[in-house]
Amino acid sequence: MPLNEPISRRQMLFRLGGLAAASPLSALLQTAWAGSPNMLVDASGPETNCDIGRLTEKLIAAAGGMGRYVAKGDVVVIKPNVSWARAPQYGATTHPEVVRAVVRMCFDAGAKTVRIADHTIHDARQCFIVTGIGQIARETGAELVFPASSLMREMNLHGHRLDMWPVFTPIVEADKRINIPVAKVHSISRLTLGMKNWIGGVGGRRNALHQDIHQSITDLAHFFKPDLTIIDATRIMIENGPSGGNLSDVLIKNRLILSDDPVAADAYAASQLFQIVPQEIGYIRLAEKWGMGTTDLTRLTLQKVTL
Amino acid sequence: MNLRTLIVLRRLSQTAFVLLFLVLFVQARLSSDTMVDYSLTLENAQPFTIRSPVDFFFRIDPLLRLTTLLAGKLWLAGIGWAIGLMAMTAILGRVFCGFICPFGTIHHAASLGIRSNCDAAIPPRSRLIKYAFLAAILVSGILGLELAGILDPLCLLFRSLALSIFPGIGLMLKSAFDAMAASDIKWINLASYAAEMIISPIFGYGYPAYQTGGLIGLLFLALVWLNRFSPRFWCRVLCPLGALLGLIGRYTRLVLLTDEARCNACGLCQSRCPSAARSGKTPASWNPSECLYCLTCMNVCPQEAISLRVAQAGAPPKFAPTRRAMLSGMVAGLFLPAVGRVDGRLFAASDPALIRPPGSLDEIDFLAVCARCGLCMKVCPTNAINPAWGEAGLAGFWTPVIIPKQGYCELSCTLCSQLCPTGAIRPITPEEKKTKPIRIGSASIDRGRCLPWSGNGPCIVCEEVCPTSPKAIVFDTVDTTGADGEPLKLKLPKIRLQHCVGCGICENKCPISGSAAVHVIAAGETRNPRHGLLL
Ligand code: SF4
Ligand code: SF4
Repeated sequence: MPLNEPISRRQMLFRLGGLAAASPLSALLQTAWAGSPNMLVDASGPETNCDIGRLTEKLIAAAGGMGRYVAKGDVVVIKPNVSWARAPQYGATTHPEVVRAVVRMCFDAGAKTVRIADHTIHDARQCFIVTGIGQIARETGAELVFPASSLMREMNLHGHRLDMWPVFTPIVEADKRINIPVAKVHSISRLTLGMKNWIGGVGGRRNALHQDIHQSITDLAHFFKPDLTIIDATRIMIENGPSGGNLSDVLIKNRLILSDDPVAADAYAASQLFQIVPQEIGYIRLAEKWGMGTTDLTRLTLQKVTL
Repeated sequence: MNLRTLIVLRRLSQTAFVLLFLVLFVQARLSSDTMVDYSLTLENAQPFTIRSPVDFFFRIDPLLRLTTLLAGKLWLAGIGWAIGLMAMTAILGRVFCGFICPFGTIHHAASLGIRSNCDAAIPPRSRLIKYAFLAAILVSGILGLELAGILDPLCLLFRSLALSIFPGIGLMLKSAFDAMAASDIKWINLASYAAEMIISPIFGYGYPAYQTGGLIGLLFLALVWLNRFSPRFWCRVLCPLGALLGLIGRYTRLVLLTDEARCNACGLCQSRCPSAARSGKTPASWNPSECLYCLTCMNVCPQEAISLRVAQAGAPPKFAPTRRAMLSGMVAGLFLPAVGRVDGRLFAASDPALIRPPGSLDEIDFLAVCARCGLCMKVCPTNAINPAWGEAGLAGFWTPVIIPKQGYCELSCTLCSQLCPTGAIRPITPEEKKTKPIRIGSASIDRGRCLPWSGNGPCIVCEEVCPTSPKAIVFDTVDTTGADGEPLKLKLPKIRLQHCVGCGICENKCPISGSAAVHVIAAGETRNPRHGLLL
């Protein structure tokens, strides 16, 4: 793994704002040093009338509370999946109540700023309006960051396939990254879970990434390296992914999966929600191969909680 | 009222209306802080809307009303304003031109400091041109071609600002931001984002650009520049709305009276009147149809002989436009619709690129009412709608067309149909768009260029982004050999026409830049059953 990458930028940032740059590299080192096994939490709620906010709280509590991941004064960026201008019930985007609960808990843990950022596929304004994420940002006091061209910046991703690429800067420049994808089927990568969500972290010619989708996803996930992945499976899309648009494409699951190992989160979600052997999915296989996490779930402490 | 008060009043009113115009203009956008309670969108009951009356100036415009009426379309919303404006003009003359019209105010401002002898700069007879334009517009309106919007001052102003001047300024600002964003200094980066967030609501999110924008801007700048040559040239010579108001205001009660005892026939009022409302040096020569109520004559009169009075005008003034002007206009009005249609597009197959926004009327009805005002184009959040160049034939120049390469039509959006002031795009609901469905065209795949079909590798972006459910793009997975001869497993896209709505997002997002490998054409649109593709 290249060691040359983020050092200069990191130093510069320290100098210029006292901002602690959680570069992908340092995040990786932190987990390695931490020593304790990674966390995997599976929370499920009742089939009907599930209070998604409380389910989210329960999930985080089981993972040791938000205070374990977010320190006082941190700038936290939340990366939901709001690619499509679709109402939440279509399962194409992250459920707003999950985001609301996470934002609230970040603030409770002492976060200075919480940002919600996504580089959407549909027009960002329409996405933020229709998915309810804009409303959540306004109601919780989180900052909604639009994918403005002034926030895209060429960076070296040091991937196996991707190198210089415009990156959505607020995501890399936060102290903590919380990835909240929604679980869906996807025509070319089979499933869109946590690691694939990082396609929304870059700009540029994203429509060319499909030509080597698995390696691209792996490169991006390696670059962005979240502190926490929370897979929203309150409802999952099983047909017509990733855009959906019909309620018959959606199954209500009322489940959330959390891990600080992005590979394990995706692997667990693939096998538990979609009954797909994780190694059959290219990006999960590659990510494990490049040492970004494990699909061997016995190496994690699994907790199951119910509401 | 004395002269000073009147002038202050005029300036206040002009400023207020220009500001109102600009505020409404800027609000004709999907704002990034638009909110819809998501629990309501759960039932899909609430499309996003723009609450301010951004079409106000089109609603009060009697010329647009009249021409849509002549085209046989009763357009009732807000008709009170238009009637009110006409009634006001009948009593008070063209005060609209002097006190309200924002385009007039721009000309007024651009004329400041010009002290030419107007009648020497352009022959007074040239003022008849606007009546010829009016006659042409009215006659062609009866024959089913709405031309008013091309020269109507409110449409012209809105279109020029929306499609050219503001986006142009936005682009200039963008280059500054790009430089700031590339900087290595943190706070300059942040400042560039903040500046962009402040500026994009005004100059357009994502830097919109419009086909023929340069032409629209040049025409606007040329019209403004003409003021340096003769003040308020546009109002005097070209404005068809002014002509209409002049006719309505012939018997105005608000007259500029000259005190004959004080007048020494110096002729200053005549030579400085920007609108040729004074044809001679004598006090009786004031022509209410031409007067803009700019009050220049009052202001320049060294004798202070002129005053504004509510009074009975003397003998009814001579009918302003000559018969010759009216007739030549009418003849032009007879021919223009034919000239516009002689290419046969209207009645034969339409141009493949003539993709109209969803809810557009059938082409014949569409051209009868569309004012080419540019409101739909400005408001479209994806910059999909553009002014037509050749797509709609000569008759449809500057009418709205969707250019998928530039922007796609979002399935949940109905903004253009909500705002279209003339009803050329009828009001539709997102539900109707999705389930009926309203098709605006259909997609086809160019297998020669498509990456998987041509054996150049995997892609299937089009399938991913297709918003219909079930998807209108599906794929077959095949084992094949690629263009290099190596074995490949590829997903080959196909279009299912019965599901395709022609939204164009596949063409928009296809990675084959330049000319996409999936292409949307107008065929298959539902607004004309003859354009259907499937049985
Ligand atoms: S063309 Fe489509 S996206 Fe654009 S304003 Fe009209 S409905 Fe909305
Ligand atoms: S135009 Fe393309 S994306 Fe839109 S419905 Fe048709 S196939 Fe789907």
